[in-house]
Amino acid sequence: MKAVTWAGVNKLSVEDVPEPQILNDHDVILRVRRTTTCGSDLHLLSGYVPFMRAGDVIGHEFMGEVVEVGRGVREREVGDRVVVASFVSCGSCWYCRNEMYSLCDNSNPNPGITEGLWGQSVGGCIGYSHALGGYAGSHAEYVRVPFADVGSFVVPDGVSDDRALFASDAASTAFTGVDLGGVQPGDTVAVWGAGGVGQMAARLSAIVGAERVFVIDRLPERLEQARTYAGAETIDYTATDVAAELRELTGGRGPDVCIEAVGMEAHSPGPQGVYDQVKQQLRLQTDRPTAVREAVMACRKGGSIFTLGVFASMVDKFPLGALMNKGLTLRGAQVHGPRYIPRLLELMQRDELVTEHLATHVMPLSEAPRGYELFKEKQDGCVRAVFTP
Amino acid sequence: MPNPLLDRAADLGGTLLGRLQGLRLPGVGTASAKDDPVTAARRWRVVTVLVPADRVGSGEDLPAPLAALGTLIEVRVTPAPGDKGTEVAARYRADSSEEEIGRLRAALRTAKQLLEVGEVLRMDPRPHGERAQTPAGRLLDGVVADAKKEGVL
Repeated sequence: MKAVTWAGVNKLSVEDVPEPQILNDHDVILRVRRTTTCGSDLHLLSGYVPFMRAGDVIGHEFMGEVVEVGRGVREREVGDRVVVASFVSCGSCWYCRNEMYSLCDNSNPNPGITEGLWGQSVGGCIGYSHALGGYAGSHAEYVRVPFADVGSFVVPDGVSDDRALFASDAASTAFTGVDLGGVQPGDTVAVWGAGGVGQMAARLSAIVGAERVFVIDRLPERLEQARTYAGAETIDYTATDVAAELRELTGGRGPDVCIEAVGMEAHSPGPQGVYDQVKQQLRLQTDRPTAVREAVMACRKGGSIFTLGVFASMVDKFPLGALMNKGLTLRGAQVHGPRYIPRLLELMQRDELVTEHLATHVMPLSEAPRGYELFKEKQDGCVRAVFTP
Repeated sequence: MPNPLLDRAADLGGTLLGRLQGLRLPGVGTASAKDDPVTAARRWRVVTVLVPADRVGSGEDLPAPLAALGTLIEVRVTPAPGDKGTEVAARYRADSSEEEIGRLRAALRTAKQLLEVGEVLRMDPRPHGERAQTPAGRLLDGVVADAKKEGVL
């Protein structure tokens, strides 16, 4: 079958690879119908997650049709049209039973790597490096889905493939931040980053009752989407002082909840951006935390900050004093997909959550390297490149 | 064709993963313990499983990966607080090597999977493209090969 593989730093290839097999009783094999680029893939592509092996199939946000089921699968059958959570979850450990699915104890077969980095191993993720299990990814004609009863969800009639696709990761990641970040009716929410996850966080904040939602980015086409599809007010960080703007817009208080949807390769104008770039390139810090720093300073006293962007290890010049003295809550998580995907599909079915506009570039799998180039360089207004294997 | 240099890189990857667990450099191995090898060898290695204590068993009735270590290890089974299941702790009765501790870590992890899930996650064969035989690639092969038996457990 055809698949998109990581071939080295900033190199992707489309190769013929063997088809996946049922390896455990709880597996299903999916024929992939839609699979999309995600901003976190860029960290793999750029070499910031140094656990990629040449030949690894990438891709973790996808949906498709079940073509084979393991003998232990109870809830899925051949022919089901399903969307799949990007993180793999066993459904049986304490973390899964408490709906912290991305913290699953049993789905990362390489725990020695992340235990050393973070003190505990987290769950595995499809197509996201050997640190998170080494699963073959979804940018392929077929993909193996372990623990399919836990992590795959039948797409309701009336919800298109193009819409359901983003329940897999972008919208469920966003819902993780909105829910665990504690967005309440009447809140003011600020979201850093107007990519797929940021836009979904803005829309879902409004759905749960936030009164005002601000989205911060620099790309006009993404800010326009945030206004149109999420009803958000937008701030171009290259044109203004974000903290001052937020103070002015929030009666001097600052946002109640700040959601960071940028991650370890944040851009920043001015000396701080240069400082972070130099330190990261010299490997003196692994991540550029520009947006998190800004959120800590902008957040109202006693408010909360949620990091949804992917970070790998260590950051520098973190305003811990502001965090402590302002009584802030800082929280983060990878996506707890199965906790949110059923509700997202309901919202999608009622047309309360639309996502199709994110798919600015739809193309066959054979054009994936070009799709990633557009996505990485933000060319041609690319928000997400979606592949149709 | 075998390439001794690349094989050496793979060996080095596994060794490196083990050594990194003991380093205290910013960004690497910060979760590790600074125990000296003798103290580390005597520590209980513990996993918590979300099953009642009577499901864990004892002696030959322990899950197969632990039972296979027989009388080489001692095993302690206690209820975890807060309805978190059962703590399963194990350590060698006598002095043990890094290799043996690695085997015990892997045994505890697979025992936990058997108790909670009923089977052990399999990963191979998996689809992949051309595996370029570079030193960095083989280094990662070595890291991955040892990842089941390394870590802070």
